[in-house]
Amino acid sequence: MKRFDSTLLKVFLYGLPVVAVLAIFAYFYSTGAVNHATGYAKFMNSFTGLVFAVWMTLSIYLSARLMFSGPFREQVIAKITFLRERDEREVILTGKATKATFLTSLAILIFLFCLSCFQISIYRVPQDKAVDGKTGFVSLGLGFSLLQHEKQDIAKDTIPKEHIFTYRGLPISSETIILILILWQILSYNYSMRRLIK
Amino acid sequence: MSKSLPQLKIINRLHVFRAIQRMTQEQLAKEVGVTRATIVAIEGGGYNPSLELAFRIARYFRTDINTIFSIEEEIK
Repeated sequence: MKRFDSTLLKVFLYGLPVVAVLAIFAYFYSTGAVNHATGYAKFMNSFTGLVFAVWMTLSIYLSARLMFSGPFREQVIAKITFLRERDEREVILTGKATKATFLTSLAILIFLFCLSCFQISIYRVPQDKAVDGKTGFVSLGLGFSLLQHEKQDIAKDTIPKEHIFTYRGLPISSETIILILILWQILSYNYSMRRLIK
Repeated sequence: MSKSLPQLKIINRLHVFRAIQRMTQEQLAKEVGVTRATIVAIEGGGYNPSLELAFRIARYFRTDINTIFSIEEEIK
């Protein structure tokens, strides 16, 4: 299993440049920059689809293996994060750096959770809809949705409002947040490690 | 609740022993199975080795652990 995973990992990594080149080709093919009529282009397009399918399957398999296989996780993630445990001192420093990364990541996650839940809306209503003679309003809310599509079902306003400022959770996509968190973990760990090693 | 204990400062004569043996930090590190950075940190007082490593160092210099590592003073 270990050898099988290592082989698949090598295929995945060495396949990355091929996937990148084919992605560029697929982009030009879809925009019509490449002549669709030629047999070569058609074949290349089909081949690109096949490569993408294989590469995506590999990605899902390898990421699942990373979750469930401890030795494989250590082998791969340790390389990605530049984790070094050559002796007892480095093991201790790794522990300290990991603790610092864990705590800061948790703090960031709590902050992001607050930002994604809170809703603020500053608006004006027409004079005839004024409440106690006031037309300017500040509306505060707390939104929590278990599923993504629930978020989109926002109730429509019955009163015409002139929105001055509206904030309804983080405007960043979930993919971007996950990518930022992955990069943050790697950067934070390496920064903490460098600081401790000095 | 818990009584604050005085901090113990561990000093070492590792550099002295190394100098007597005319060894480099790199050589000693190789002999006791650590990196050179760890030897540098121990000599500089920035890192206290584990009991296992302390015993390995003492065994390498064929001496007692107390001869190399000792407590200098108690800091409140």
